[in-house]
Amino acid sequence: MSGKSTRVREMPDGPLLAVRRLAGGYGDILVVSEMTLSLEPGRTVCITGRNGVGKTTFVRLATGSLTPSSGTVEFLSRTITEVPSNRRRNIGIGYAPQENVVFDGLTVRENLTLHHDDRSLDRYRDLFDRFPRIPDRLQQRAGTLSGGEKKILSFCRVLAEDTSVVFLDEPTEGVQPENISLMAESIAAAKSRGRAFVIVELNLGFVEQIADEAILMENGGCSHRTSNRTTMRAELSSLLRI
Amino acid sequence: MAYIRASSCAAAFALLFVPIIWDSFTAYQLGRYLLYGMVAQGIALCWGRTGFLPLGQALFFGLGAYVTGAVLRMDPGWGLILLAFLGSILLPSVLAGLVGILVFSRQIGSGPYFSLITLALSMLGLQLANSEEWLTGGFNGMTGIPGLPGVDSYEHLFFVIVATLLATTLLLEFLSRTPFGHLLEAIRENEERLQYFGFRTGVLKAAAFGISGGLAGLAGALYAPHQGIVTPQAVGFLLSAELVVWTAVGGRFGLIGPVAGAVAIGFLSSGLRDAFQYWELVVGIAFIVAVLRFPGGIGGFCAGIASRIVRGSPAVRRRRDHRVRKRQDPGHPDLVYRNVNASSGPVEILRDLSFEINRAGTHCIIGPNGAGKTSLINVLTGKLAVSSGSVSWKGRVIGATEPYRAARHGIGRKSQVPSIFATMGVGQNLAVALWANRLDLRDMLSSAPHLWTSGMFEELLSRFPFLHDESASAGVLSVGQRQMLDFAMTMLAEPELVLLDEPCAGLSSAETEKMIDAIAEISARSGSTFLIIEHDMRLVERLSDNVLVVHQGGLLASGTMAEIRENPNVRKVYSGAGNA
Amino acid sequence: MNFVYSVTVLALTVAGLAIVFGLLRVMNMAHGEFVALGAYSALIIQQSDLPFVLAVPLAIALCATLGWLIEWTIIRHLYSRPFDTLLATWGLAIVMREGIEAAFGREFKSVDQVLPGTVDLHVFDYPAYRLVLIAVTVLMLGILLGWFKRSNAGARIKAMVENPGLAEAAGIDTEGLARKTFVVGVSITGVAGVLLAPLVRVEPYMGFDYLLSSFFVLVVGGLGTLEGVLIGSAVIGGTDAAISTIFDKTAGYLGVLLLSILFLWLRPHGIYSRQ
Repeated sequence: MSGKSTRVREMPDGPLLAVRRLAGGYGDILVVSEMTLSLEPGRTVCITGRNGVGKTTFVRLATGSLTPSSGTVEFLSRTITEVPSNRRRNIGIGYAPQENVVFDGLTVRENLTLHHDDRSLDRYRDLFDRFPRIPDRLQQRAGTLSGGEKKILSFCRVLAEDTSVVFLDEPTEGVQPENISLMAESIAAAKSRGRAFVIVELNLGFVEQIADEAILMENGGCSHRTSNRTTMRAELSSLLRI
Repeated sequence: MAYIRASSCAAAFALLFVPIIWDSFTAYQLGRYLLYGMVAQGIALCWGRTGFLPLGQALFFGLGAYVTGAVLRMDPGWGLILLAFLGSILLPSVLAGLVGILVFSRQIGSGPYFSLITLALSMLGLQLANSEEWLTGGFNGMTGIPGLPGVDSYEHLFFVIVATLLATTLLLEFLSRTPFGHLLEAIRENEERLQYFGFRTGVLKAAAFGISGGLAGLAGALYAPHQGIVTPQAVGFLLSAELVVWTAVGGRFGLIGPVAGAVAIGFLSSGLRDAFQYWELVVGIAFIVAVLRFPGGIGGFCAGIASRIVRGSPAVRRRRDHRVRKRQDPGHPDLVYRNVNASSGPVEILRDLSFEINRAGTHCIIGPNGAGKTSLINVLTGKLAVSSGSVSWKGRVIGATEPYRAARHGIGRKSQVPSIFATMGVGQNLAVALWANRLDLRDMLSSAPHLWTSGMFEELLSRFPFLHDESASAGVLSVGQRQMLDFAMTMLAEPELVLLDEPCAGLSSAETEKMIDAIAEISARSGSTFLIIEHDMRLVERLSDNVLVVHQGGLLASGTMAEIRENPNVRKVYSGAGNA
Repeated sequence: MNFVYSVTVLALTVAGLAIVFGLLRVMNMAHGEFVALGAYSALIIQQSDLPFVLAVPLAIALCATLGWLIEWTIIRHLYSRPFDTLLATWGLAIVMREGIEAAFGREFKSVDQVLPGTVDLHVFDYPAYRLVLIAVTVLMLGILLGWFKRSNAGARIKAMVENPGLAEAAGIDTEGLARKTFVVGVSITGVAGVLLAPLVRVEPYMGFDYLLSSFFVLVVGGLGTLEGVLIGSAVIGGTDAAISTIFDKTAGYLGVLLLSILFLWLRPHGIYSRQ
């Protein structure tokens, strides 16, 4: 991680991010009801649960790509529920969605640079060391990457940003096990610099590696919460019955 | 629907008094707008009901006008005139149908390319009408067309037009109530889903386009004697576009709206054009507003008010116990994947996947996210092409075909995200599924299929009681109910190979119980083969006697749940994702 | 040389639509009306005895203002409904046509030739204005391409159109970017109108032919690239010229129509496309 990319703007006393009783969905259909979450600097909250329980919808509501029907999102003690999603990156919140994670029609290089004016790849140096497949393919169209490689590309884009909170929606989906551990390393390095993560994740091994707190979602709400890292995995897998 | 019949008859009756109350010139003008309205009805059939927009409808109108005009100029007897009318209907209709078949069979969906093709065709027609003077009279038009013998074109022809319009309205209204009409609506809502029920949607769309072409031709046939002259403008793009504007403003979802739009804008333009020179400006703005805010146009607006006043939904029809015939007995299930490779672009999704399923019952597919589970199903239903290797079902090689063919081979699928016809009622959704692979051409145009039922139908209704409320719109159901409706629809077609992609996604635990019971009991009795993708091991254990583990596009292991648990390879893959 | 000229004219009129439709995927049926607006700007300047060059800023000002208003009131609601952009802009075309008619009357106008005379090209003489037109077009396309390659604008627009949600998440202000793109597209179209004004009849309905030929060029050439515009212009222009010489003008037009229908039917992504 280059020093430049991980500068956290302020170190607040309170939580970095506070989501209070957030609810919403698509049209009239309420998918998420009353989700609450608080995130301190340098911490990671993982959200897990079966397919269709509203994990992705929650992340979309919290990042502003869906408009919540009620509840608030606060960042550095400032309510940002109404802030358009494109401005959240600039105030310090990054987001890598679950699906359609890269721009298939653009090259890998364009994917990594289009949101920066200088178009340099310097900020990706550390990440490129970890994931050498990415710099090898800069001129290729991103659509030609495999699902796992796209996830890594999207991970790199978000991690190299200058944001203090990062939302990752199923970052390990389709990613090779060795790369999953490299992702965990990158996250740990970023955490040590004070960045905080909200990660939707089904892979409990990965959750165990990175989470400070785990939330189990069911029916659009939180059904279980644990911060005990030693029992976390056993608790979750017994509740998920996998 | 009955109110359309009543009101169109009433409107036709009222129209009969126009020549008496007003002057015959008004009747003459009104006659012309009514003819345009007839064409607009055809556009509404394609656009409002079926969801594809023809932008060159004047081509068929002008074609009908030229054909009848040319015959009338020969001063023929009634026999030949009727023949000309027939030709004016059939020629455009066949032409439209042909264009439809050619275009729609190449692509699912109703993108703008079809519209641009019809636009270009109409330009082509205009060019030919202008240049082929020997046939059309060229730029100055085909002039001196006599009226119909014994029918005065200013007054009496008006009655003929009203009668014809009444007939076409009633015909279209009848069509909208037949299974054909419902299927068109289903195409608009979810064409892919309809394909999975085995319907060749391209042919249905072409048929709708053919009907609209015939309607335009008929209007044109009356236009020729009515106007006495046919100019190239009658096939041109400007008229085509105006017809679309009238349809949009009048209301593209109904039958009366398009006629009302043509008449209202026609009269207002002719009345206001002198008083207010830039009247077209108002029409243009009205059109933009209709597109932006009122997709239903004036007709939709009125219908909305009417439904608020009338309230109450149409009574649910009692389904007479008219058992549908049982489909052929399932033979030996025999699903074979042999070294299947498939890729999306340059990305390999399935790699040398091989397995066989040789008995009925439930088989589950598990595997980490991104392993290729859904793709495995996609190669069976024609959504993903096999690049090498083969997939066969009951000895027949499948793959790289259109989705509807899979359904005809007895394969039914339910996608992970519920896929239903959202604006249609629950009952209509179920009916369309029940018709899958069972509807022949005669049924398509009769009302009997609405009364069909089956053992499966009744069983599903008793398992999922919310399906009893057949008039409820499918779009307002909860996620869980949509999932169950989609499942019920898949089962109604009684496929021999049932593909279910995470049937319990998004269900509450109570709903999950219900769904699992339904799947287990139906699959035990039906003798069909079930292939289910499922994440939840608890459910897999309850459902299945055979589990296939897919990893990185290939088969990692297969066997009973106990065997799978002991398999070291599986343990390795799942070591990250909990204890399998 | 005539072939080069006719391809240039086509490419010039297509450029704006290539941005609005090719990149932004707005099926702008009022494209031709923006050409007309540019041509009328030239007329205004000439009638007020100002130097012809001033028509360019006037056209840009008119088209940009109008484009901005249109994007704000109509187009921005329709990005997720590409089909409706076709209809709404068709309505817009009617409104603009009527507006032009109200302001300038229905009759044909003509803009005087600004550079009469010919240039001696050693081998043959060639009308001076045509040479200027070719030069300006090449320059304009060059600047446009350079800007796209140098800045992130092209990549950002493509990203926004392909996946607006992700573009937002990546911090791109899609609303503003879309508006700017639309305004730039219609302004270029206006400039094309200015350049063409001395060569054609200026009348309210003049836009329609440009609309069709532009769409055909894009459909045949392929969306989203300059190469597509050039190939499309060459194929459409070439077909027209070849068939017109052998038979007549009508046959040439019919040939273009048939070719376009074939492409729409069999290869809707065109000859050169990134898709």
